[in-house]
Amino acid sequence: MRGDREAFAMLFEHFAPRIKTFMQRSGADERSADELAQETLLAVWSKAKLFDPKSAGAAAWIFTIARNLRIDGLRRRKRTPTQDTAEVDLEFQVDEGPQPDAALAASELETRVRSALSVLPEDQLRVIELSFFEEKAHAEIAEKLRIPLGTVKSRLRLAMNRLRGLLGDLS
Amino acid sequence: MTIHHHPPDELLTAFAAGTLDLGQHIAVATHLLTCPHCRSMVRAMEQIGGTVLTRLPPAEMSPGALAAVEARVGGRAPDDAAIPARHFTGFRDIPGLPSFVRRYPDSSWKWIAPKVHMRPIGLPEPGATRVFLLRSKPGTKMIDHTHTGFEMTCVLSGSFAHEGGHFGPGDFDLGDGSVDHDVRIDSTEDCICLVAMQGDLKLHGVIGRLLQPLIRM
Ligand SMILES: [Zn+2]
Repeated sequence: MRGDREAFAMLFEHFAPRIKTFMQRSGADERSADELAQETLLAVWSKAKLFDPKSAGAAAWIFTIARNLRIDGLRRRKRTPTQDTAEVDLEFQVDEGPQPDAALAASELETRVRSALSVLPEDQLRVIELSFFEEKAHAEIAEKLRIPLGTVKSRLRLAMNRLRGLLGDLS
Repeated sequence: MTIHHHPPDELLTAFAAGTLDLGQHIAVATHLLTCPHCRSMVRAMEQIGGTVLTRLPPAEMSPGALAAVEARVGGRAPDDAAIPARHFTGFRDIPGLPSFVRRYPDSSWKWIAPKVHMRPIGLPEPGATRVFLLRSKPGTKMIDHTHTGFEMTCVLSGSFAHEGGHFGPGDFDLGDGSVDHDVRIDSTEDCICLVAMQGDLKLHGVIGRLLQPLIRM
């Protein structure tokens, strides 16, 4: 148990400050970003037993928790806070389709994505990054990176094609 | 089931990033239910989400944040509280919907045009995107229309065709305001689709104008 606490503190020190940045870049003010980062780590602790290292990388799993809490936080701002956070989790549970992902071992997926990312040029990764977190329209990304809009689109397409290529033979 | 039409990559990325509104999210989730390929794409994007998260510059946490979380953690049991299954009972007669959608308020089919019925899905989120089921009889030629926003369609049963190709169960069709749809139902059974729509549907012609208030829901 004490080992768990120590490990949790390390996880907190690494992820909470980055999740706070993620929340701020997604439009949350400093205070709610701080709260959402704390909520995320709290959920990480509570759900730790549900984490299956064979099915996802820890960072990806923590990312999905942060993402769902961000959505939940946005909804709570818009109306009465009666919403259950589990609601958003359910909305992302779409894996029980009639066609199983048998061809796709999750650990294999992770390895492939990781190697795809490691060979992805920095400029393509930047474009994906921005389109991912900041709800940036392509035009805004172009402005931020000071590149023509066409370049943003072609970099994004290159990156996605590369990814599709690596995943294609798995499914 | 062979799927020929998938959501574009940007849409799958936005789904994984969690930046779609609920209506759009439902349309993509309905496709994911039948498409292992797009499911792996979404999971790949979530992996990327993790990578990008670790690459972000750290912000300074408020003093005592860790201690506050540790205090709340104390003695807390793992949170595996699932919403009871009894809530998942809507749209019983409609196969191919993601189970979370079955918790939303159901309603009855409404006539909107000859051979065409519509059934709204009541969303808990008052968002910009409306979601409904559309049921059309075989041979129906949909009224020529354009829309002011985008429209996402996922086929649940039956099939239709338009200039962009043939769409059967699981297929995903994305229309934006620029496309004039001339849709023909070409299955021998009813064609049921889930539609997520932003903006208003604009029907052409005299009859179309008469139908307009009915379709606006
Ligand atoms: Zn697909």
